[in-house]
Amino acid sequence: MSDSTEETVKAINQALLLTELELVERAKAGDQRAFRSLYEMNVDRIYRLTYRMAGEEELAMDFAQEAFVRAWNRLDQFRGDAAFSTWLHSITVSVALNGLRKVDRHRKRERSLEDAAPVAASNPVAEPGVRERIEEAVEGLPEIYRTVFLMHDLEGFSHGEIAEALGVAEGTSKARLSRARSRLRETLGPAMQEYVG
Amino acid sequence: MTDERMDPMIDLVRETYHVPGETPQEAMWTAIEAQMSSDVGAGVVGGDVVDLASERRRRNAGRHVFRAADRSMGWAVAAAAVMVLGIGIGRMTAPPGGGVEPEVAVATTFDGMSQGALTLAAQEHFGRTESLLTMVRADGRSGSIDPATAEWATGLLSETRLLLDADRAGDPAVAELLLDLELVLIQIVGVAETGSMDEAQARTELEIALRTLDDGEVLPRIQAALPGLSGA
Repeated sequence: MSDSTEETVKAINQALLLTELELVERAKAGDQRAFRSLYEMNVDRIYRLTYRMAGEEELAMDFAQEAFVRAWNRLDQFRGDAAFSTWLHSITVSVALNGLRKVDRHRKRERSLEDAAPVAASNPVAEPGVRERIEEAVEGLPEIYRTVFLMHDLEGFSHGEIAEALGVAEGTSKARLSRARSRLRETLGPAMQEYVG
Repeated sequence: MTDERMDPMIDLVRETYHVPGETPQEAMWTAIEAQMSSDVGAGVVGGDVVDLASERRRRNAGRHVFRAADRSMGWAVAAAAVMVLGIGIGRMTAPPGGGVEPEVAVATTFDGMSQGALTLAAQEHFGRTESLLTMVRADGRSGSIDPATAEWATGLLSETRLLLDADRAGDPAVAELLLDLELVLIQIVGVAETGSMDEAQARTELEIALRTLDDGEVLPRIQAALPGLSGA
């Protein structure tokens, strides 16, 4: 990148940053239209992340909404040290992880009730399909690895963004991604050969 | 590295696992707006969701001290800090009669610190990490590592990060080696922090750390880098 292009990019970034900060200041003062602009700037990425984490539209919507409502209520705590989007992602991940833990507990209770009743299984001997195998493998990852994997490899977050959102060092994010990939490689590797060559 | 081979698999996961559709932007905003209106004047929402990031940030604050310091002080100060830190570790770990002469490094002024001084710090650092990694590899065969080794790795991890931040304008190969080394050291430290994990999980963590060490050929690269660096 040439020096002049780099300067231009810097200037644009600076302008965007100011705009975001100005919107935050207005939203802090109670301006809902300013918050709506912040919402529009971030909602796609937030929803994609919550959907990747939850896997269901309704849950993903709940988590995304909750994240924005929390951000609105906590705007006075946003000091502007990082970008608003970074702060918002941190809230989103926290809301989604806690929400998923609650849902998981609820589902386990439901499952134990279902297991108690003799229900005809769809096809217990059928070989699980690719989608099921992938789902099983990703969901088998420990939460801290899965979150980094989803953010980095599926949604394109940088390690810097992940580190800020999760409150860890960048190196930790890299290490978690490495472990997630290793585990996926172990779980999916042999079964996926035919699909990935 | 094996990540290249992972790419098609990651692509497949990306196209298959929980693929989001179009964002229901208006529907969500309607719900959010309703909540915002009902919460106006109510102050911060209480509730039971802990802000994990803040808590972790607080706990990790100590670990970030060096990085934050580096950003504000510049690479020269960071390099000096690496040397001082390295000397401390060197004193603890160097065999009797061997090792570095710390006073030489400490006497160097921050402003006068050159790429050569940084190279020296890197050289000493690689020497220490070579010892550690050799030991970890040997211990790893038994499926566990000594907790004291992890403490040593923690010190070396701090050094690695300082060097990484300080050596931005230096040799790209050294920077790449430092990055791979950082990852291995994090994993080694992580193995020691597996107190809450069961034995099988701790063993798996160690296996992953050793695999990263082997896959990245970190140890041979360090060994190859040592003579090159000393000749610089």
